[in-house]
Order: sequence, then structure tokens, then C-alpha cells
Amino acid sequence: MGISTAETRPATTAAARGVTVWQIATAVAGLLAGAGVAWILSRHGSNSFGVPKLPFAVPVVVLVGWSFIAGGLLYWRSRPENHLWAVLIFQGFAWFGSMLNNSPNPVLFTIGQLVYPWQYASGLYLILSFPSGRLRGGLARAMVAIAIFLVTVGNLFWLLFADSHHSMCRTCPANLLEVTRDDAVVVGVFYVFRISGIVIALTSIGLLALRWRRASRAQRHAVMPVAVAGVVAFCALTVSYGARLAGASSPNALDAFAFYAAAAVPVAVLAVLIQRRLARGAVAGLVVELGEPGPGADPRAALSRALGDPSLALGYWFAAESRYVDRNGRPVELPEAGGGRRSTVVERDGQPVLIHDAALEHNAGLVESVSAAAGLALQNERLQAELRARLVELQASRARLVEATDAERRRIERDLHDGTQQRLVSIAMSLGLAEAKLPADPEHAKPIVAETRTALAVALAELRDLTQGIYPTILSERGLSAALDELCSRSALTAHLRLFLDGRLPIPVETAAYYVVSEALTNAAKHSRAAEVRVAASCSNGILTVEVADDGVGGAGNGRGSGLRGLADRVEALDGRLTVSSPPGRGTTLRAEFPCG
Amino acid sequence: MRVVVADDAALLREGLARLLLEAGFEVAGLAADADALLDLVEQARPDVAIVDIRMPPTHTDEGLRAAKLIRERWPDVGILVLSQHVHAGYAIELLSAGTEGVGYLLKERVSDLAELASSVQRVGAGGSVLDPTVVTQLVGRRREADDPVKRLTEREREVLALMAEGRSNKAIAERLFVSEYTVEKHVGNIFTTLRLPVSPDDHRRVLAVVAFLNAQ
Repeated sequence: MGISTAETRPATTAAARGVTVWQIATAVAGLLAGAGVAWILSRHGSNSFGVPKLPFAVPVVVLVGWSFIAGGLLYWRSRPENHLWAVLIFQGFAWFGSMLNNSPNPVLFTIGQLVYPWQYASGLYLILSFPSGRLRGGLARAMVAIAIFLVTVGNLFWLLFADSHHSMCRTCPANLLEVTRDDAVVVGVFYVFRISGIVIALTSIGLLALRWRRASRAQRHAVMPVAVAGVVAFCALTVSYGARLAGASSPNALDAFAFYAAAAVPVAVLAVLIQRRLARGAVAGLVVELGEPGPGADPRAALSRALGDPSLALGYWFAAESRYVDRNGRPVELPEAGGGRRSTVVERDGQPVLIHDAALEHNAGLVESVSAAAGLALQNERLQAELRARLVELQASRARLVEATDAERRRIERDLHDGTQQRLVSIAMSLGLAEAKLPADPEHAKPIVAETRTALAVALAELRDLTQGIYPTILSERGLSAALDELCSRSALTAHLRLFLDGRLPIPVETAAYYVVSEALTNAAKHSRAAEVRVAASCSNGILTVEVADDGVGGAGNGRGSGLRGLADRVEALDGRLTVSSPPGRGTTLRAEFPCG
Repeated sequence: MRVVVADDAALLREGLARLLLEAGFEVAGLAADADALLDLVEQARPDVAIVDIRMPPTHTDEGLRAAKLIRERWPDVGILVLSQHVHAGYAIELLSAGTEGVGYLLKERVSDLAELASSVQRVGAGGSVLDPTVVTQLVGRRREADDPVKRLTEREREVLALMAEGRSNKAIAERLFVSEYTVEKHVGNIFTTLRLPVSPDDHRRVLAVVAFLNAQ
């Protein structure tokens, strides 16, 4: 079973399963970098400018760097199209790189100073773009762009004027990038850094809060650890910078808080990854749950629990109506691109689709395993959904048939009331009149009796037409061929009839075929402006085909008219099919096919 | 006596007019729908309006509604409603608005010229007319064992039906070939058995009897 998620390339997830040389090299480099930094820190201790003097500082430094790199590698393997892996790995190496400023070697020290602030920019990117790896919104992009400018160009500019002993620490080695010492510039740039840092941190907290408010439950679930760690880190940074700006002399406690807060970010990223791995464990439970027989098993509820998306919906392809339906056979709309919902097609015969929260897009692996586990149950469910959809359709057509019957009864009642009954009453009145005249004035009574007899003949003719309309007796007495012949001879248009029928067909089939031709002839006479019409009926291979084609103006409604809809219901009730072809200017052809074996 | 006729079927309108003329009535005008009828009644002020119950535009009970309007606006105009179907409910609805000068007849009844003439006369004179078929339907209903109608004698039930048709004691006596005194006795028994308040007024007792029959 393959999975393709709308809006992501389907091939990437499967192709990225193997461990590549680059990934191994990155892992090795990360291990070495961590070991190297550990060696430098334990050998030389940290200078007062780098890592704060804290318990467990060295193991924390190494573990934080490794966490970033490990998280990056995990992402690289599972979601290579999501650029977060690169950001995470960069962040890890930048973190290790920044620790080089603890080295007494001027070259390493200078590299450390150069690299030191990079992690702020990549950390910002990481927190703001988690978990998609894409920055959404101009404000977030602007924030990251400013941060990148400050930590690269800004930092380099600062290093050109900063004297290491004066501006960094007394025990620090020489700053090899120093061109000329200018303390005023150094202090000014520091102010710019700190104020910008505070502004960016506070803006980012605002952005995260805003997103949290707008996020769905599944989205919150997916980002919570990182968002919390990010907010804490931003707060710590703000407080720490604010304290320095305010001139606090010994902000060691605040530095420690900021240091550990920053360390929490990669832990949070790893926590999210582990949480996803654990979620796949729920797949096993899903298999058990869906495997249990009984009508109570609802794949939607089970999938929704396994995926942690309460709004999850399932759609099953209903070929007869060319649309998706839910398990109760009611239509399901697929989400539009760009909204908060995505659809994932589970490519089985029936193509059930999952309609889920967009947050799950970043966890395609889970969606895939869950869908695979649910496959068989979904297949079952699809068949049931199709059955129910047919039932819904059947109920609708049954309701239409009942309606049509009622309408027909109303029509007959009206015809009888307005026609036959009125005539009979009028005849009764004439007879009453004649009766009153008869004793005294028989001469005047005579024409009244003659008039009454004529009225009675008219009433009888009307009644005959009416009963013929209620059910064509010739059809039951003589069969379809004779009935069609009679229909065509009575038609208002010139009708050519070609028959390839022998023997009688089942009465419901004959009746339906008769009404198809009758309705088609009436429509042609009323609307088509046709000169003539061709009627053909043939029965071969157990299929009765009836076709009525006129040479009129075409453009007849494709099954929308209630007359045609009623005909279609009648035909479909016999497992037949009614098709209307009516291209403008090229006549109308009504064609019905019935099984008549 | 001046009469107007409202029926959307020209055939019946004209036929009725002919019959009415033959029976010696003055036909003051013909109308094809309820609005035309109201105009006609306002202008001609006939003694009786003969109204088809089912007329355009909805072909349901336009005639009945027009009859009620005439009742309100011109209480001295008698109304004879004609219907092709037996609807006891319609008849009772009509009588509820006042039984004086009101009638409800099946259309086929009009072929009997004498019957038509007498009905129009009665309605014109302020009496009431209820079609025997409607009355038969009301009287002949399936009834519970403890229904007081079941305690009436055959003859009393006959009298009850004729009362419901709107006939006076005198007319009932003529119809049954008995004395008016005997009819009065029957009527007294019927009212006692059915526990109806005794009403000396012929008009009011029609509604009392019909409403009683309908409610059972």
C-alpha cells in the first residue's frame, strides 16, 4: 500500500529510508565535535566570557550539541523534504563552534567568537518554523533575517573593533580579527545587539502566542514542547539582556537561567520526535481494535484516536455518483488547498481518503502506518459506505416514486373532477330539465334529450382517453410492439418505428419502455421543434434497448427535468439505465436499456 | 326570487341558470370565480347565491370562503354551496357561521328540478338545507355501544336525519305522513335521549343536531 499526501511529493518519504554516507559522516563529525569541545572545556575550563561556571556545565554543553545533531539526523531520515533537519544540525555544530571561545588558542578563540552568536539565529528559525521548517508570515521572516544580519555582519563588524582583553575577558587570547580598537563602537554595537535581541525575543513570544490561539488541537499537540521551551528561552534571553542593559554587575544567576533555557530547546525537539515514535506504538492498538468483529468498530474513531486528531474524517469513493461519501453514505467534501485541512489518499481499490488536520502533514510516517494498519477495516468500511450510499440514493428515488404516484393521483382526480364529473352533472341537469318539460311541452323536451345524448358521447370519449392515460390497456393485452405502434400512430410528429422484438417481455419492463417512448414523444412534440422522430426497440443478449431520436433543436435538460428524473427512476428501479443526449442543434436522443432476460 | 350562480365550469353555470329559469327563478347574474361572485352579490343583492365550493385559483375551498364573506357582509343573502364531494366538515364549517339561509348540497342533487327549487326556496326564506348524503354519513357513522344515538328508535332516527337536513316539523310530518304533533313528540324524545338543550327554533336545532352527530 502506498501513501501520497496532498501537497507533498509522494516519492520522498519512501526513498529516504536508507542511511546515507552523508548522514553517517554527519553523525561522526558531531560525535568528534562534542568530544573536542568536552576536551577543551575540561582541559582549560571556561573563560568568564563563554560558558557560565555552573555545575554539570560540560556534560550539558556536550549533550545539548549532540541532541541538536541527533534530532537533525532523525529528521533527515524521516522527513528529508522538511529543512528542519539542516537547521538542527547547523544549530548543533554552531553550538559546539561557539564553545571554541573557551580555548586559549587565538585562532580557535577567534573562530569561536565569530561563530558564537550564530546559534541565536538558527535557534530563532527553529522555534518559529517548527514543525514545518517553513517560516510563515512576513513578521517571522523579517525577524529571522534581522537576526541573521546581526549575528553575521553585525558580529564581524564588532570583532573588527573589539579588543579581547578589554571587551571580552582578561584571560582571553587575542582577537585576530581586531583591526583597530574602538571601545565606543564596541559598546554601541553591544547596545544594538541587546536591544534588538530583546525586541526579537518579545515579538517572537507574541507570534507564538498568536499561533497557539489559532492552532487546532492536533497542531498544539504537535508543537507544544518546542513552543514552551522557545517561550522560556526567549524570556530568559530578555531578562538576561535586560539585566545587562540595566547595568547589573553580576548577572551570573540570570546567565545560568538563560543557558539552561537554551539547552531545553533541543530536548523539546527530541521530545516531539520521541512522542511521534510512541504514537506509532498506538498503531498496534489500532490493529487490535479494528480487528475485533462487530458493528461497533468505527474506523474513524479508532483512526482519530491513533492519530490524535479528533476532527479526522474518512471519505470513501462512491463510483456511481463520482464523489466521496462518509460511512453513512452522505457526501464528503475534500478540503481545499491552503486551508487547515489536508487529505491523504490511501491507495487501495476503493481509494478511501483521510481528511485530517494539516498538522499531521509533518508526521506522514504515522499517517502511513496507521492507514496501513487500518487498511483491511477501511476496505470493509468502504464496501459498507458504498452500500449505504446506494441506500441513500434508493431512499431518494423511492421518495420520488411515491411523490410521482401522488402527483399522478392528483392529476387523475383533477381530470375526473374537471371533466367527467362536470359533464355527468350537466347531463343530469339536462335530464332534469327535460323531465320538467316533458308533461306540458314534449316538443321542447326533445332537443334537450338529443343534446344530452351528445353530451353523454363526449363524456364517454373523455373517460376513454383518461383511462387510456392511466394505464395503456393495449400494453397488457397485446404487448410492447403493438403498444409502441399505437403510440407512434397517435404521435403529433411523424414517427418512424423500427421493432426488433419477438414475444412478450416482463410486464414491468414493457411498461417502463412504453413510458420512455411516450414521454419522449410528448417532449419531442412539445419542445424540440422537430419534423420527425425515430423510435427503435430491440431485444438482444438479454438487453432491451429503446431509443427515441428526434431531429429538433436539442439542448434538453440532462436528467434535471422532473419528467426525465421520474423516467430515470422507473428505469433504474428495473436495473436499467436511461441516457439523454441532446447537443444543441443536433436533436435529442433518449435511450433506455433494461435487462430483460 | 332573485338568484346568482358562481361556478368555474361554464357548462354547469349555464345549465344551472337554465334550470333555475325553468323553475321560475330570476337569474340576476353568473360568476366564474369568488371575486366575481363578491362583486356580483354587492351589485345585484340577490336573495340566494349558489356557489361552487371548488373554484380558481387553488381549486380547494374558495367557494366556502366566499360564502363566509357574503355571510359577514350581506347577512340577508342566502347561500347555497354546491360540492362534488361529500365533506361533512365543510358543511359543519358553513353552518357554524349561522344556519339561517344556508345550504350545502351535492351537485348531482340539482338534476331534480323540484328538489333544487325547494332547496333554493328554503335557503331564500332563511331556512337551512343539508344534503341527505351528508346527513346519512353523519347518522350512519359507526358508533360505540354506549352512543346515545343507538338508543333512538328507527323512526326517531329518521326524524333526526330530516332535522339535520334542515327541515321544519311541518315538512317532516309531510314527508313521514304523520301529524305535526307526532313529530314534535319524536323531537322531544330525541332531544332528551341525546341530552341536547331543547330549542324551539328550527334553524338553531340544525346546528345542534349536526354538531352533535359530528362530535360522536
